[in-house]
Amino acid sequence: MALAPIGLPHYLVLGTVLFCLGMYGALSRSNAVGVLLSVELMLNGVNVIMVAFARYIDTPQELAGQIFAIFIITVAAAEAAVGLAIVISVYRLRHTIQVDEIDLLKG
Amino acid sequence: MAAADVYIAIVFYLTAALMIAGALGMVFVRNMVRSAVFLVVTLGGVAILYVLLAADFLAVVQLLVYVGAITILVLFAIMMTPRQVDIPSSAPSAQKIASALTAIAVGVLSIGVLVSHRWNLRSTPMDEPTSERIGTLLLTSYALPFEIASVLLTVGMIGAIVIARED
Repeated sequence: MALAPIGLPHYLVLGTVLFCLGMYGALSRSNAVGVLLSVELMLNGVNVIMVAFARYIDTPQELAGQIFAIFIITVAAAEAAVGLAIVISVYRLRHTIQVDEIDLLKG
Repeated sequence: MAAADVYIAIVFYLTAALMIAGALGMVFVRNMVRSAVFLVVTLGGVAILYVLLAADFLAVVQLLVYVGAITILVLFAIMMTPRQVDIPSSAPSAQKIASALTAIAVGVLSIGVLVSHRWNLRSTPMDEPTSERIGTLLLTSYALPFEIASVLLTVGMIGAIVIARED
């Protein structure tokens, strides 16, 4: 498959690899900003898959994948802003953003 | 393979290698600033992929919003939370092994399904300029999500200012 012209499966595999690397980062990093960076990587992996679908799939809704990707970028920007504001606020109160130490709600 | 196919394949594999290297650096490096810079490398690679996929408007939006705005936001947050290097937690190996297994399982399952599925492919891949068509679609078929996204961004901005405000 690697010697064939670049087609849809190549982009699908690359997007999935990015998503899985981001998932590993989100699950294993102990810094809250690191978790948010990994979530951004996951969203980018999904965006790559969406835009590849827009290019290669035959559908009556033209460019639906790219519109979807635009909205994913928008929501990711808003979520990054609010998430980082929360992280800064938590740092001011607890002087730490290691996710293991932010456990006030823990039973 | 035609010469154009070879060229596209070279660009694709180089960009893929760059993106995966950036993603690995982002996930495994302890220093937060270096981790954010590795993510910038990956986001730039994603913009190159958008150009390869004939998504010209999205490539520029990706550079403007992700590389330009979100990266600066993350660097500001790292700057305002000093000395928080990503230290390994007290029980590192169990959590890291479990998350690695989860990520690998999700990845293998997804790749297996995505590659083996018989997609309804176009006869020729779409290769036209997209800016005008995206503009038309955003104001006709997707007007409601467009307006909701505007409200979301406004609410997000106000919320971020209120939460991060020092009082």
